[in-house]
Amino acid sequence: MPESDFDRLINYQISPKENAFLDLKAKQIVTDTDPAPVIDMLSVKYRTKKSFLDHFTSLHMVVPTLRCNSNCRYCQVSRKDPEASGCDMNKKTAKKIVDLIFCSPSAFIKIEIQGGEALLNFEMVKYIFEYAEWLNIFKKKHLEFVVCTNLTLINRNILKYFKEHHIYVSTSLDGYKDLHNKNRPLQNTDNSYDVFQSNLALCREHLGNDGVSALMTTSKSSLGHFREIIDEYIKHGFSSIFLRSLNPFGFAKQYRDDVGYGVDEFLENYIEALDYILEINLNGRYFVELSATLFLRRILTPFSTGFVDLQSPAGTAINGVIYNYDGNVYVSDEARMLASMGDNKFLMGNVHKKSYRELFDSDFLHTLIGTSCVEFLPDCCDCAFQSYCGADPVRNYSEQGDIVGDRTTSEFCKKNKTIISHLLKLIRKNDEHINKVFWAWINRQPELLKVAQKQL
Amino acid sequence: MGTIFSRGDHFLVTESKSKNGYAALLSKGEIANASVPTVCNIQCLGELNEGDIVQIEPNGMVNVLYEAQSPHNVLMLTERCNSSCIMCPQPKVAAEQDKTPLNLKLISWMDKKTRSLGLTGGEPTLLGDKLVDILLACKKTLPKTALNLLTNAIRFEDLAYAQKIAAIGHPDLMIDVPLYGATDTEHNEIVGSNSFYKTIRGLYNLAFFRQKIGIRVVIHKANYKRLPQLAEFIYRNFPFVFHIAFMQMEPTGLARKNIEQLWIDPYDYNAELKEAVDSLFDRNMNVSIYNTQLCVLPVSLRKFAKQSISSWKNIYIDECSDCAVRQQCAGFFESSRDLHSTHIKATGADHRAVACLSQKT
Repeated sequence: MPESDFDRLINYQISPKENAFLDLKAKQIVTDTDPAPVIDMLSVKYRTKKSFLDHFTSLHMVVPTLRCNSNCRYCQVSRKDPEASGCDMNKKTAKKIVDLIFCSPSAFIKIEIQGGEALLNFEMVKYIFEYAEWLNIFKKKHLEFVVCTNLTLINRNILKYFKEHHIYVSTSLDGYKDLHNKNRPLQNTDNSYDVFQSNLALCREHLGNDGVSALMTTSKSSLGHFREIIDEYIKHGFSSIFLRSLNPFGFAKQYRDDVGYGVDEFLENYIEALDYILEINLNGRYFVELSATLFLRRILTPFSTGFVDLQSPAGTAINGVIYNYDGNVYVSDEARMLASMGDNKFLMGNVHKKSYRELFDSDFLHTLIGTSCVEFLPDCCDCAFQSYCGADPVRNYSEQGDIVGDRTTSEFCKKNKTIISHLLKLIRKNDEHINKVFWAWINRQPELLKVAQKQL
Repeated sequence: MGTIFSRGDHFLVTESKSKNGYAALLSKGEIANASVPTVCNIQCLGELNEGDIVQIEPNGMVNVLYEAQSPHNVLMLTERCNSSCIMCPQPKVAAEQDKTPLNLKLISWMDKKTRSLGLTGGEPTLLGDKLVDILLACKKTLPKTALNLLTNAIRFEDLAYAQKIAAIGHPDLMIDVPLYGATDTEHNEIVGSNSFYKTIRGLYNLAFFRQKIGIRVVIHKANYKRLPQLAEFIYRNFPFVFHIAFMQMEPTGLARKNIEQLWIDPYDYNAELKEAVDSLFDRNMNVSIYNTQLCVLPVSLRKFAKQSISSWKNIYIDECSDCAVRQQCAGFFESSRDLHSTHIKATGADHRAVACLSQKT
């Protein structure tokens, strides 16, 4: 809003018939008539934005083993060697976990298996999914299955199994060959890239292009190379990328000099990459940046979004939860990483010792969630970007020492603010081609790009 | 395929011969010594088809109430209205004889193969429970007919009434609600009553019961400027609507009376219309443009244009006789014969304009 209009508005000098006033009235920001029906409309929209709460816990991450055959430089899960013992889930624990998963009132349940390298304990992976399918005959929920894997142990039998049980594959691709090999070497070879490439093709053969998705993790070596990383993704036929920054947890903290970087460096690279991706789309190729799309959904649509790490109230346990190989339950993946370093602050309990209610209706959880709403957190409560952002108490605790956190020095806050500002700048351009790209991403409609192209 | 019918329930259309048993006779020529009401020397009798329903007035006027072959059949449920829209083509009455018994009869006579039936007025919800009766009758005797109810939704502010309509469980009912502005300031000025928030509550209540809702926007001088803001308002607040229609104004009735305040050449609001339509289309909403001539629209908008004008008032003008896309064009209202865009121009068999139409979504 032009400053002159704003000044007149706050001094009650604006006419309620002016466009500037009518625009704000249409958005329910001001009114010159009875506020009750306006508040009514706002409450409908507010309820819609918070409807992710209706489902309660829908994302359930399960860790069947800590054993891993990779040697990723920034690993945060305190992985063990492939032959290690004492870090695998047993059937009794797996059964208890799946029983608890189905205690969630959510009609949508996503079971995401991670590790270590999950496929090192494929028997347990199968057991978990099959027991879940069995229970679902009675529970009749909408189920989604995902396995996170480095693809090294994939073979046709496993893929046939995945296809039969509608299991999606999520994998990691950090970039072009040298970069990927540098970040994510395997324990028995330096050329993890070649193994990845051929196994990806095998996956696609059985599961189709959409059956496999990839995400990248940014290490120090990735900086300055985002364009090449994006080109690599396109080369491999991926239609989306999630430009993820490193969480300073787990092993990564110990290797900070080696792989770490500041938020400013990340942001510089991210913004440049986003502009590059936008250019790719404007030239007619559909390719989505997923973290930007999340923010765009929050800014441009009236709907709720399900990203557990950035919700208000925080999604810890009430949106997404993680069950470790030993039956310990944590409020988030980051919380599990903290525990592996010796800090059990966010341990909810163990599946063998506590009931569903004791785990999910505990005083501990109530306090944690109750302290994690941007609507009243310091600085967040006054922030113009409040409705696009969220709280991450575990990160606050890990980076700054307490779950409330201090926004003035928070890298997490700086990152979100910068990305949101940049997106708002692009939206404000009101360029019809950029708008079409954003909407193509938001609604997953590549065809919209073709319409934009035709009109050019 | 013969169906057994009772002659006493039917009118016979005949050249000149009289036959016994029919309720009335309609003829192109003369018929002597008829024992039932007879109307002679009717022109355009050839336009009537088997299954059509006509009403014969005492003065011999024959009104066609229903055409079995037409996709544009409409039932006038009432001429009373609780709005006073400045561009209303159907002037309202304060009091009237209840049309429901006649309408129920019409429904019972209609061909079961009727694809769609409009329910309009005035304001249909003023019938209260009788509207429910009408809908139930349609569901029972015309189960395969899609219904399109036009209403300002004000009465649906009452949740119980919205529930009554929903409880009918009609298999194919679309409820179309007009919205003329993104604020009460703009909308109420046009509908002549303080009903903006009531209509909105009505929309919410219908959505609560998962009814299929459409929004209609008639465009004229008083509201074209803020059409893009209205489009955004619709998306942000009613993303659940099934369809949005932007409509060219019919310059008859009150619209003709208020023409100074309302008339704008539709060509002159194309920029605002394009912004509004594009923004809704980008947001994956279902959009159409009604009552608009293809030549008036920018090429990129033509795929949204629908042939929406009821056949009985649908005309084309001289300029249209050589137009290559006349078949796909909505044409004009009868009342637009003397008042329409100055940009009407026949399209030659020009590739670009014709090709774009074959890509209709």
